[in-house]
Order: sequence, then structure tokens, then C-alpha cells
Amino acid sequence: MAQPLVKKDDDRDDEAEYSPFLGIEKGAVLQEARVFNDPQLDPRRCSQVITKLLYLLNQGDSFTKVEATEVFFSVTKLFQSKDLGLRRMVYLIIKELSPSADEVIIVTSSLMKDMNSKTDMYRANAIRVLCRITDGTLLTQIERYLKQAIVDKNPVVASAALVSGIHLLQTNPEIVKRWSNEVQEAVQSRAALVQFHALALLQQIRQNDRLAVSKLVTSLTRGTVRSPLAQCLLIRYTSQVIRESNTQTGDRPFYDFLESCLRHKAEMVIFEAARAITELSGVTSRELTPAITVLQLFLSSSKPVLRFAAVRTLNKVAMTHPMAVTNCNIDMESLISDQNRSIATLAITTLLKTGNESSVDRLMKQITNFMSDIADEFKIVVVEAIRSLCLKFPLKYRSLMNFLSNILREEGGFEYKKAIVDSIVILIRDIPEAKESGLLHLCEFIEDCEFTYLSTQILHFLGIEGPKTTDPSKYIRYIYNRVHLENATVRAAAVSTLAKFGAMVDALKPRIFVLLRRCIFDSDDEVRDRATLYLNTLGGDGEVVETDKDVKIFLFGDLDIPLVNLETSLKNYEPSDESFDIDSVPKEVKSQPLVEKKAPGKKPAGLGAPPAGPPSTVDAYERLLSSIPEFSNFGKLFKSSSPVELTEAETEYAVNVVKHIFDRHVVFQYNCINTIPEQLLENVSVIVDASEAEDFAEVTSKPVRSLPYDTPGQTFVAFEKPDGITAVGKFSNTLRFIVKEVDPSTGEAEEDGVEDEYQLEDLEVVAADYMMKVGVSNFRNAWESMGEDFERVDEYGLGPRESLAEAVSAVINLLGMQPCEGTEAVAANSRSHTCLLSGVFLGNVRVLVRLQFGIEGSRDVAMKLAVRSEDEAVGDAIHEIVSCS
Amino acid sequence: MFHKQCEKEKHGVSLFFKQEMELSLIGLQNAGKTSLVNVIATGGYSEDMIPTVGFNMRKVTKGNVTIKLWDLGGQPRFRSMWERYCRAVSAIVYVVDAADNDNLSVSRSELHDLLSKPSLSGIPLLVLGNKIDKPVSLSKEDFMEQMGLKSITDREVCCYMISCKNSTNIDTVIDWLVKHSKSKT
Repeated sequence: MAQPLVKKDDDRDDEAEYSPFLGIEKGAVLQEARVFNDPQLDPRRCSQVITKLLYLLNQGDSFTKVEATEVFFSVTKLFQSKDLGLRRMVYLIIKELSPSADEVIIVTSSLMKDMNSKTDMYRANAIRVLCRITDGTLLTQIERYLKQAIVDKNPVVASAALVSGIHLLQTNPEIVKRWSNEVQEAVQSRAALVQFHALALLQQIRQNDRLAVSKLVTSLTRGTVRSPLAQCLLIRYTSQVIRESNTQTGDRPFYDFLESCLRHKAEMVIFEAARAITELSGVTSRELTPAITVLQLFLSSSKPVLRFAAVRTLNKVAMTHPMAVTNCNIDMESLISDQNRSIATLAITTLLKTGNESSVDRLMKQITNFMSDIADEFKIVVVEAIRSLCLKFPLKYRSLMNFLSNILREEGGFEYKKAIVDSIVILIRDIPEAKESGLLHLCEFIEDCEFTYLSTQILHFLGIEGPKTTDPSKYIRYIYNRVHLENATVRAAAVSTLAKFGAMVDALKPRIFVLLRRCIFDSDDEVRDRATLYLNTLGGDGEVVETDKDVKIFLFGDLDIPLVNLETSLKNYEPSDESFDIDSVPKEVKSQPLVEKKAPGKKPAGLGAPPAGPPSTVDAYERLLSSIPEFSNFGKLFKSSSPVELTEAETEYAVNVVKHIFDRHVVFQYNCINTIPEQLLENVSVIVDASEAEDFAEVTSKPVRSLPYDTPGQTFVAFEKPDGITAVGKFSNTLRFIVKEVDPSTGEAEEDGVEDEYQLEDLEVVAADYMMKVGVSNFRNAWESMGEDFERVDEYGLGPRESLAEAVSAVINLLGMQPCEGTEAVAANSRSHTCLLSGVFLGNVRVLVRLQFGIEGSRDVAMKLAVRSEDEAVGDAIHEIVSCS
Repeated sequence: MFHKQCEKEKHGVSLFFKQEMELSLIGLQNAGKTSLVNVIATGGYSEDMIPTVGFNMRKVTKGNVTIKLWDLGGQPRFRSMWERYCRAVSAIVYVVDAADNDNLSVSRSELHDLLSKPSLSGIPLLVLGNKIDKPVSLSKEDFMEQMGLKSITDREVCCYMISCKNSTNIDTVIDWLVKHSKSKT
């Protein structure tokens, strides 16, 4: 839930009222702490001193280990006092000191006594502190008391035990999991707080077991939850179950429950349910309506927090379902003048997304009025909303572009300016009429731009778009000014941009040469080098000639090589008589690591360069393999697959395999990890049975001599296969090794070992292993230039399939090629689809494929496959792959 | 103020009653420290005890005196902390399992190590040989010899052989303690 926004300005007047602890010093307070050692304790005084210590700690003061330990031990003396207030302070200070003081374990026995005390306050707090200082072995000693406390009559005690359980689950999950029965009982508690904490703990205990969470939700949604907080949690867990259940057809499970929560007494539950409904994946407008209705009511609430929550949620809904939100437009318009700026901003941006063409001008006026009052991050939200509005109503580009250029002139941070520039660039790209004015706004901006990154990006963009305008010469002044006024990075970018104008616009060429020649005397190497390069290649030293097409491609064309690969190749290159060959740079883009999946949704890319690819492992493999003498004569590595797991997760030995493809050989690299601390494996090898892979003949294998615990090791097996043939087959694998017992305390292995085997899963070499995913930027051009000479076309029936999308992805996976231009995505409910694929086949042969799919009512899918490649045989091979499977 | 003082004068006995003393109870694990506290406080004895993790704080009133007892854990991890709880006490009570011959030398060296701390100089020491109900327990002479008590000359040292189980000599111990409370004030 959002925090209520408190207006701070009101308490300015009361500045005379300061904290009684203001200005106390650590040294003096530590001196005062000696009263804890007095034989006759003064509980009041001691409480005050602890309060001061806590104040210091909370103000960011830190105690050294010695200081903390000294204070801690004096505090332990206070356990002799029976004063309730003082004891409470003792608990608090121990909890604060426990991370920094030594030997906090000394209070265990005292806390255990308090944990079983008759005083509820003692019991609850002692549990919290004890769980903070305890370790695994002590926890088993006190476990029994904690289980009792979870079902204690007193809600404060039960909550303390449950919250401690949530903390302990991080460090000692196996112990806390044993408390399930007690926690389950606590979920039924009549006390709201206990129910809330119990539900949170129960879910965390079961979080890795989807079925158990689903059962929990099923039983609780029948209406035993009383606490509004617990109900909110339940709504969250329910959404999670809905997300994971993934049912495509019929009614969504638990939707009725969410919908019924919209009529709950507590506002927080209503809001939580409404938000959960709006966030359902693939939510229909029928499902949305009741949620939007309650959010609309919140919009006119007197509580700012409800207005904020509602408008923020509606803002998100407006991105995907603008029509569903239009009903709230009148309520949101009144929020534009809301006292709270955050609410006003969100209201405006939501309106921008849902509004119609006629309301644009009025809204823009209102935004301009309050733009200077809000923080940068909200300004970015506004800018993004305006961008999408402009794309929606291209006729309004003039007023929107004006707005953008106005705010571009005002003060602002990098992210904000970048958002504006990105928006202008996107408008220029998508709305041809906006181009000239947009480019001039950008030119004006770089005249006074403090961000090097933005300047260079804009210069690059000008170089592409400027020469195509009706009067390119008017941009030259802005660009050449950069050469005089800016830092070296921007100057170099400006030189490149000038050269682009020179290359593209013949009329300007002589004047550009004059400017470029002046740049030869720049103080920076890079600037001079670029100027010289361009002058020479464009023919600036002699008469004016029409620029060669090859030169243009050389200077300004796309490198169809991943920059990371080029960088590593250049690093490996050693100066010699042989010049660097750009064709030797591998073109394969390594697939993104899986973690990327969770990245937030992509925003439309503006100027920003494409995200840098992950560091290439291709080179690492190549280096590894070429360092092994047995494989050195296999030639150049064509492709390495991503690792394929051959064992289940969390087994004794973890093994995965990487398939390395050469022209006439295939090498399996088995990456093995021994996960048993008490074992040392020696002479580890993989025995491969290739009886189901007739074309392959084993030539050599290379075992790992020793595989200690948790240290990865690699063993290799190499096979020979007929040259150029895309041989396929299935291989069964057995891990063979000598196992030796290891004494965990000394780490020494016993002398004698025992031979043992471990069955691994099967491995297949498929046709896709001979294909590298290499994309092309313009498929049509590539297709046309490849020509019809080696085109092979045929039609196939794929039989009944689940859906068209499923058929398309099956064929893509079969061929292992790179889908181009987003054609791997199939529109829902479409009856036909065309998919474009590109790749490089074994032997470095470029292949392009055009797939045309059609689906009939009976779900029968037919496919027309057209292949173009530089080599006739490869085209046939592709057809063979499809027809054989 | 004046009025209050008069009150105290009148009830001279109550002033006497307010006498307090502070004691530290130390010794190796399973020597019987917590049992001794229980015997002194309530007279009860239980075979079934759990090790003290850290310390227990107990207040016991005997006759005129309220005794604050710091009953400390005897496991090795706590021994370095004994000294902190012995500073400025009226007396140190060191409990030894007199029937556990194997650990006697460890007990002896822990005691002598502790007494060598400057912060504890001059504090009276009461050494108790516990568990004399067991047949294998040492005689007092052998016990004092093996604990090296004769060599401690910088403070008052006293030694009793006791049994918490049978409440043997517990009264003597209490008498000694009460006597030493007076010396403090």
C-alpha cells in the first residue's frame, strides 16, 4: 500500500520544540551507562540511559565492537531488576546491540526464563530477542517453547512467535517447517494480527510447493479470514495461484473470490482486490468492470491515500485497457487540481492515455501550468504519456512537439532530458511531417547541452536523417559549432556527422571538405583520425567525385557482427604481416542468460543503443578446445550449443553437456560437479553408447583426473562424422569414476577407492545443432539479393496441432534459426501466418527461410517452405530436416 | 527528608534487614551450580537439569540478607565471561564436582586463571566440593590439595565439602555467605 503523504510544511512553526536528546554525545552516554553496574539500581535512570543509547543508534551513530560489548554486558546486569518498564528497554537495547556485540549468547538462559514467565510482555519480547540471537543448535532447545507460544492465548505472544518464525525461516528453514500444525492453528485465531502473521508464515513455509499454496488458498477463500491484513495477503496469494494455474479456457479460478472482496468492509481489502483483478494476465473487460467501478469511487474519496492508490492503479490499467478507464475521466479531470501533486500527475497522464483528440489541447494547457512543480521522475511519466498520445493522434503533433521543445529548454536531469529527446526522435521517425521541426529542436538543444551522451546520440541521428531533408545545409552550422565548442567525444561525433552529409549530399561535398580539413588540426587523436579517414575515403584530396556505393557501406553501413565478438577478436589479434580479417569474427550472438526473463517490460527504444550482449563464451570454448592437443586438428569450431542438463537438479553429481560442432567432428564437453563433500572422484569419464547414432564413430575421450567436492571439471568425448553431413542421433551416457571417501574434518582422502557408475540422461544431436542463429536486419533485401537460383520450395502437411502458434514455434525450434522482424509471434485467432528465418549452416553457408502456415477448422496445419541459400545442397538439407521429422 | 530519617531511626531493625550482597557462582559445567542455587533458594533438588546457557540471575533472602546470585554457565564458551560477572561482588563461590577426578585439574587451572585477574584481587573465595554423596568423591584434604587452595594467599579462602542432593553442609554455606555480607557494608 502507498504511504499517506503527510504535509511537512505545517510543523515548521514548531521548530522551538526539539527533541530532549538533541545534541547528546556518545562518549558521555557511554559513561552514564556505568549506572547499570550500580549495586542499588535506579530503574528510572537506567531506562533513560538506554533510551539515549537507542536514540544514538537510531540517529546513525555506531558503536565499536568494544563499546558495544561493554554496554551489552552492563545491560545484562539489569536482568536483576523486576521493573517492567526497564525490562522492556533491556530487550530493545539487546536487540539493537546483538549484531555488533560479542557473546550475546550469554543472555540465552535469562531470556528462556522470561519466555516462560507469567508476564505476557516478558514472554512476547523475550521470544523476539531470543530468536534474534539464537543459532541452529540453540533453536532446537527452545523449539518446544516457540511452538507453544504460536498457539498462546495472548495474541501479542503468538504474533511474536510467528514473526520470529518468519525471520528464522531464512536461516533454519527445516526447523520452522516442523511448526506447520501450530501455524495452521494460529491462522484460525480470532485475533487479527495473529491471523495475519500466521498466514504470512504458512505461505512462506509452503512457498516452494505450488500445490500446497493452492490448497491453502482454496481452503481460506471459503471465508474464514477475519483480519483485513490477512485478507489482503490472501488476495495476493490467490493472484499468484491464478498466475501459475495458466488455464486457457473457461472461467478463471478464484475470480469470484476476488470479485467478492470488492464488497469487503475494509478499504484496503477492496483496493487490494481491485488491483489484483486489474493485474490478471489477459484480463477481459467483463472481469475488469467491477474493479474499475470501485476504483472510481475511491477517486472521489476524502482520503488522499485512497485517491492516490486508485489513480495509480487506473494509470496502469490505462496502458493496456484505455477504454475501460474512460468512464472515470470526469472524476480524474477534477483531480488535476488536487492539492497532492503526485495524484495530479497521475490523473493527467491517465487522461492523456484515455482522452480523445478534442481534449488534447485543453490537457496540454493544464500540464504546462504545473510541470515546474513536480519532480523529474513524474516529469518523465508525463513525457512518456505525451509521446504515446502523439503517436495515437498524429494530427496533433504540432502542439505536442512544441510542448516537448519547451520543456527541453528548461532545467532537468539526464534521465528527464533523455526521455524528452527519445520522444522527439520517435515522433520524427513515425510522423514524417514532424521531421523538420523536430530536427531543428534537437539542433537547438545541442547548442547548449551538458550531457555528452545525448549530444553524440543526437549528432548520430542528425547524420542519418539530416541529409534526407529538403535543405540539409541548414543543419551544418549546428554540427560544425560542436567542433569548436565541445569536448573531444562530441567533436569526434560531429566530424562523423559532417562526413555523412558529405557522402550523401553531393552538392554540399566541397564545403564539407573545407570543414573537415580544418578538423585535421584538432588537438585530439580520434577527431583528427576520423577527419583524415573521411577525407581520404570520400576523395577530399582531389576533384569532387560521386561517392562510391562501397565506400558508403564501408563508412556508414551496419556491421553485421556483434560488437562484443569484434572486440574480443581485436584483442586476440597480434600484429603481424597478415592483416586483421573481419570475416574471421564469429557472428553468433549468444543467447541472453535466463535471468533476463524477469526484467521489467521494455520501453520503446529511442536513441539508445541496443543493449550490449553478454560477454561471448564462444571464444572461451574455442580457446579451451584448441588448448587440448587431441582436438587441435579438428579445424575451426563452427558452433557450441548451450549447456544441456543431463542430471536432475540437486542430485549427487551435477552434469551438463555442451555440443561442439566441427566440420567433420563433434565434441561433447561434459561439465561435472561433485556435490558430496565426503567424496573425491578420480578418473572421471563419460561412457557414451552411440548405437543409436550410426553416422558417428568415437575417436577419443579425455577424462578428468580428479574431481574434488564442488569444483567443476570437464571431461570430453570426440566423435567423427562424415564431412558436411548433418548427422543426427541419440547417445546414452554413463558417468564412470573411482570414488574415494574424504574425511570432512581434515579434507584428506582415503588411499583406496571404489569404481562406480552413475547413469546420466540421454543426449541427442539434432539438425538444429548445425545451424547458427544469425539474424539479418532487412530480410526482404537479403532475400532478393540471394536470388531465385537456389530456391527450393515445397509444401508439407503438419497434421493436427494445438494452435498455429504452437506449430510455428515447433518448426523454428526444429530448424534452430533466427526469426526475423518479429515474425515468430502469431496474432491470436489468425488463420494463417508467415514466418521469416535466417541462419548460417554448417560450412558457413547463409540460409534464409520463408515459412507460410495455414490452419484449417480441424486444426490441421499446412506449411509452405521456401529456402534460399548460397549452396544448393544446404537448401535440400533444410527440406530433408523438415520432411524427416 | 528529615522526617524520613526519623522513620529509619525508629525502625532500626528494617535498616538491618535491607542488607544486600552480590555473589558469583562459577565452576565447570555439571558441577552443580544451578542445583546449589535451587537448594539455597527453595531447598528443592532435581536430578534433571539442563545446562545453563549464559547466566541465571536469582535473588534469595536468607535471614537479614538479600543475596543476588549470578549463576553462570560452566561450558568452555562461557568461561571467558566469568570475570565480567565477578567484578565487585562480595564473594566468589567456586563449585567443583568432587567426584569427577578427570576434570579436577581443568577446574583447578580455570580457578587459578580467574583469580590472577587484577580486577578480582582481594575478593573472598568460597570453594565448594560438591557431590560428596557419591562414594568416589574425594576427602576434603585431598580435594584442597588437588585444587591447590593452599597456594592462594592474597585473599580469604574457605572450603566446604557439600552435597546438594542430600543437603549436606548447605547451612554452613549459607552461614558463611551471610557472615560475609556484613563485611561489605
